Amino acid sequence: MGDYDRRQSGGYHRKRRYRDDDDHYDRRNQRRRTDSAPLPVRVRRQLLSIADSPMRRWSEEVQNIAFMVTDNYDDENLRSTFTKLAMQLHLEQPLKTPFVAAVLLVANTRKSELLGEFLTKLAQSIESKIALGEWRDVKLHLKLLACLQSTLEGDGLFPLLDELFNRAADLQTASSDDTIGTELVKIIQLTIPYIMVSAHGQFHQKAAELMEKTDIIASEPHALQALVDPFLPEGADKSSSASPSLCMLLQKQLQAEAGKDWELACLPRPWEMPLEDVELQEKLSSPPKHPLPSINIPVTVIAGPHPLFPEVYFSVYADQDTQSVPPSTSIASSLIRDGLIDTINILNFNRNVTARYLMDLDCYFAEGTFVKRATPFDELRNFPSNSSTWKPEDVAVDTVFSQIFQLPKSECKLVYYHSVLTEACKLAPAAIAPSLGRAIRFLYRNNPRMDLELSYRFLDWFSHHLSNFGFTWKWAEWTSDTDLPERHPSIWFLKGALDKEVRLSFAQRIQKTLPQEYHKFVGPEKEKDVPDFKFSNPDTPFSKEGQEIGALLRRKATDEEFEPLIESIHAQATEQALDPLVASTDVFMTAVCWVGSKSLSHVLACIDRTKLRLLDVGAKSEAARSQIVTSVMDYWQAHPGIALSIIEKLLNYSVLTPFSVMDWALVAATPSNGTDGGFSLAQPHVFELVSHTVAKVTTRVRQLYTSSDIDEDGRAKETKAMRELFQAMNDALSSWAAGSKDEMMEDGDGTTSEEAMTRRWGQRWLRVFQRKAAIEEAFLLEAGKTAAAKADDSADAELID
Amino acid sequence: MRPNEPYSTVDRLDRPSAYYNKASSHHIFPISSSHLTHYQNKRRRDHRDDDANGDAPAEPPVDPLANATTLYVGNLSFYTTEEQVYELFSKVGEIKRLIMGLDRFAKTPCGFCFVEYYTHQDALDCMKYIGGTKLDERIIRTDLDPGFEEGRQYGRGKSGGQVRDEYREDFDEGRGGVGRAIQTDGREYDDEPRR
Repeated sequence: MGDYDRRQSGGYHRKRRYRDDDDHYDRRNQRRRTDSAPLPVRVRRQLLSIADSPMRRWSEEVQNIAFMVTDNYDDENLRSTFTKLAMQLHLEQPLKTPFVAAVLLVANTRKSELLGEFLTKLAQSIESKIALGEWRDVKLHLKLLACLQSTLEGDGLFPLLDELFNRAADLQTASSDDTIGTELVKIIQLTIPYIMVSAHGQFHQKAAELMEKTDIIASEPHALQALVDPFLPEGADKSSSASPSLCMLLQKQLQAEAGKDWELACLPRPWEMPLEDVELQEKLSSPPKHPLPSINIPVTVIAGPHPLFPEVYFSVYADQDTQSVPPSTSIASSLIRDGLIDTINILNFNRNVTARYLMDLDCYFAEGTFVKRATPFDELRNFPSNSSTWKPEDVAVDTVFSQIFQLPKSECKLVYYHSVLTEACKLAPAAIAPSLGRAIRFLYRNNPRMDLELSYRFLDWFSHHLSNFGFTWKWAEWTSDTDLPERHPSIWFLKGALDKEVRLSFAQRIQKTLPQEYHKFVGPEKEKDVPDFKFSNPDTPFSKEGQEIGALLRRKATDEEFEPLIESIHAQATEQALDPLVASTDVFMTAVCWVGSKSLSHVLACIDRTKLRLLDVGAKSEAARSQIVTSVMDYWQAHPGIALSIIEKLLNYSVLTPFSVMDWALVAATPSNGTDGGFSLAQPHVFELVSHTVAKVTTRVRQLYTSSDIDEDGRAKETKAMRELFQAMNDALSSWAAGSKDEMMEDGDGTTSEEAMTRRWGQRWLRVFQRKAAIEEAFLLEAGKTAAAKADDSADAELID
Repeated sequence: MRPNEPYSTVDRLDRPSAYYNKASSHHIFPISSSHLTHYQNKRRRDHRDDDANGDAPAEPPVDPLANATTLYVGNLSFYTTEEQVYELFSKVGEIKRLIMGLDRFAKTPCGFCFVEYYTHQDALDCMKYIGGTKLDERIIRTDLDPGFEEGRQYGRGKSGGQVRDEYREDFDEGRGGVGRAIQTDGREYDDEPRR
């Protein structure tokens, strides 16, 4: 490959490349040979690295490339290299779109055929992307096209946007649940600013007309929006603080910008040449014009491969007294973030490049948009009121968090965003660490009112991030919180985060990083690699049988050899009026855990050997299945991560059912359950357990619907099971949330703070799993439509035959 | 770079390493002939017959990593446990199987493992998001792997561990100090084939 040579060959070369008098100087450098590289290679290299240099020699870079291409227009190889790369670059690195456009604009003044051909290609691609429902690519193409507005005949891009809007309006009229219409409106809204910056001073009327139309859709809150709000406010402020959707924000921002005569201060204008190039500038202001090639938009547009949801604007720096990121009233907040989000998600295959982009983001926006890199936050308040106080590091960190905290699901796996932040911290620790610190404090403060799934993502990111940086954090600032009641959300966070730190490291190591007050979360029981076997204590009921079963498991005895011991337990349990199967299951499963305690491989091998017995027991009674979960969770209570891995395998072996795990955690239908009077809801690892279990079920159902061989019976069966699971969770969580769960009624009068906290946990859980259920229903609906469409297609095909 | 894949404008992190490419061409990866595809067998034969008929039709080579679900994970500490590996690597997807690399003689962890996922995509994501990050405070290395086979869990170094730990001159606390060859007598290892 070797294509990627951003920075290393950066700006300081380019500025000398074409000056003969510098040749001598240049020759000392190894890189000299790059000058004699074939033209297409040079064009490729220069276009790839356009605008990367912090020297900001935009006009020079743009002219160099444009001149090279137009001076050698007959070189077909060069022409196709350039065209292909320009098509690819604005899709893969969208922050460079205005710069690619500038090259095309300058080239257009010298060889207008070039742009003509390019527009044809671009239009074709837009048409096919629309047909495929690849909406992000449509947006990125339109952004480039918008930057070329000044070269288009007539109203340029506006008629196309009008038509797109008509589709959106139809869709929204047909159904208020529609998400494609919202997406189309968002694309239109994000395209307008680039048109206005390209055709400076023109089309104000056109833009106003279009915005009048989008206003109708954008000002209406979307039906699904309440489900994807990152915050779940408590009690009184419930109605007031719903987060605005991105479309609503954009609408207001555009109106504000129109009021300022489309100033669009943050956008780069690389097509504006310095004074010495006045001639070129004149040509650019009256360029050869091209008709916009026709772009056909099908009557029914499709959602495409990526699920669409209304987006909500989320910022971890929203509540600061000094603005270190653009406020949500400014169009800059949306434009900068949109470009960065796309860059982050598209470049997921190279987190180093993504991190580099985040650190260099000021290169791709207008001069003066940001303060100097690594400016300390405290200095911002001393800045004069007319200058920017936006910290590039804060904007970068804010954008990555907006993806981690995207509901219902972030585009890439969460661990990708973790790795981006890790790399960014490695690149510029001194600049990024303070920004990250402020973000962490915001998230910690808001944890109680955040959606529970997001709180969990925060905990997971935080522990993973610290594991990459020696587990150092200023724990002292939260010390007073360690005395909060055990059901408090801050305790939930501290306990969960420290447990995850221990899982990635070990207890003694983590203890060393903590003030004394936190040691209770990483107690001595976590130091033990092998937890005690309760049956080693002769006072434990069935201790004799427990030890013997352990010994038999150790020597890999045959199944028959266990039988007399199990029967002995059954007999004794019956005498003591205990459920015999539950009693023997506890002994057996605990012994399996103990014998396999050396490592996961050991316990998995042991489960593999005893699988038939466990399956048999599990099939016999609900209570026994529940006991299996209890025994595993009890044995590994100091190391919930291990317990969860074991339960995951037991689910894979079908020893446990998803329903039994959920029932154990939330419903308490059987005597041996894990709800503990609702305390389970305030345990981070129980949320993890239930989330994983539900994910297993939903993934399975989705696989059945997306797999090519259609198994109708399997689909119906698994879908029914999934719906029942969600229904049961909904019932259980609703009663926890309302405080009407039997256990809560028995224990108190419903007024203590503990009960209030349990109700709140119930509400937070309920919101998460209601959303998950709604999303799966939406998926099934969509899958049903696709299947129907396919059936129609094949019916049509038969008719034609 | 696999055939038929367009170049990206930046490098991808989910490619096999130079080590894999070199090693596979020297047959360091123990592929028994029963595991070779028809084409690979044919290629072996063709190779011998090259002089005889030089104009064999050029088929695209079968890429053993095209659907790889397994990763080789290197530079682990000897003290890193299965559970720690599980915790980190589960972040990209459910793990199907984990095999710890062991000292051939002592049967203790010797600083590498194989992680097998259920899907190829999870393995690629692991390359992109986990490779080069820290586990147990060490930067770990991941490489796509054609699949675990019995025997590969053992170190191939003369004293039982990984070859790299025979000669290492720097002191690495997590991997038993300096290389074992240096700890004992360096000379006897001189005949060890370098990889």
